Amino acid sequence: MTEVLSPGTIEEAVAMLAEYGEAMPLSGGATLIAMRNAALVEPSHLVSLDRISDLRGIDRTADGKIRIGAMTRHCETAACAELTGSLYVLRRAAGMIANRVVRNMGTMGGSVANADPAADYLPALACCDAMLEIAGADGRRSLSIHDYIDDWYETALAEGEIITAITLPAPVEAPSTYRKIARVSGDYATASCAMALDPDGQGMRVAIGACGPGPLRDRAGEDALRGKLGEPAAVAEFAGKLVAIADPVDDVRGSAEYRLRLIPRLVSSVLSELTTQKETA
Amino acid sequence: MKIEGEFEVEAPRTEVWKKIQDPQIMGACIPGCDSIEQLDDTSYRAQVSVKVGPIKARFNLLVEVLEEQPEHTILSRTSGEEGTRASVVNSDNVLRLADTDSGGTRVDYVADVSVTGRLGKFGLGIFRKKADQLAGQFVENFREKLGVTA
Repeated sequence: MTEVLSPGTIEEAVAMLAEYGEAMPLSGGATLIAMRNAALVEPSHLVSLDRISDLRGIDRTADGKIRIGAMTRHCETAACAELTGSLYVLRRAAGMIANRVVRNMGTMGGSVANADPAADYLPALACCDAMLEIAGADGRRSLSIHDYIDDWYETALAEGEIITAITLPAPVEAPSTYRKIARVSGDYATASCAMALDPDGQGMRVAIGACGPGPLRDRAGEDALRGKLGEPAAVAEFAGKLVAIADPVDDVRGSAEYRLRLIPRLVSSVLSELTTQKETA
Repeated sequence: MKIEGEFEVEAPRTEVWKKIQDPQIMGACIPGCDSIEQLDDTSYRAQVSVKVGPIKARFNLLVEVLEEQPEHTILSRTSGEEGTRASVVNSDNVLRLADTDSGGTRVDYVADVSVTGRLGKFGLGIFRKKADQLAGQFVENFREKLGVTA
């Protein structure tokens, strides 16, 4: 039998997680409750983060950054007017998660903590160079999204730690978007692509989802591609580097080989969508 | 699901064979193996814990050696269940040893694994990745036991 605890502060929550070794934090529950019902996880306690007001809300900090509380629901992120330009990619990804019921329930912190390689936020956050704020019994820390994924479903979160917020750099005026290839609308990605152009249109940031334990990003390759976005051969060479670091699974959504073929197509077609937007803006 | 691979160790085949025959050495090399005991000449019981993200499983396994061709082939069958949680795992395994040109040993392995029950609900794609990782760790541990680094 699982006992549900409802702490009112972050400190209380992490203290409870430390006290009960088999406890798990419960955010929106969109995934965790389904996993519990399927007996995939059997926590002794669920520490609900629902009553903690510090985990809610999307704010702009004094230096222009956007801070998204971990308990922010997908539907709120999908409707957030602050996520424009270079950050629109995240809003777009939120709107493509599963279905309305799940978007009303699931939270960004919960999704990031679960670290499903085929879920939508991780590539979008990797494209935005997001920072994660993390709290545990030993205190607080912040961590780059690029240092977060250790392995398949394994993250830098230690036992008893929770994500408290996700911080994004101030948005700049530059087109960005998220696209996913999925068997049906709302399914997990077979492969996905989060991309943002640089404000001058000369370079881009791109993260591929569902093709490895975490999002694929090649920042050195992006630097080398600057100024050459209009050269198909250079773009293809860059996409080839992403394919080289990919490590997709074979599963019901597609074979590993199919996923590898999707990567260059996603990169070139999303790039052409964003360049067209830039030209007509 | 077929899990297969091969690795080479810079140790003579006779020595590799001897180590493979020793359940305590094998137990120490298998990632997550909490205990292993020999039941009779050809069967072993082992407890192995595996963790994929939030999902933790502890398997109670019976390994039966079906056929042995000394110093080059072992056919075995692994069967077992996972605690009280109703997952059943079965696997048919083939292990082959061969000499390499440099005086070392090449080990080839194939396991045909099936998982049913609660863990069967989890994607097979991830199982394969996890299995490949565990195999990689096993090879590393095994090399250490043989006192070779590559």
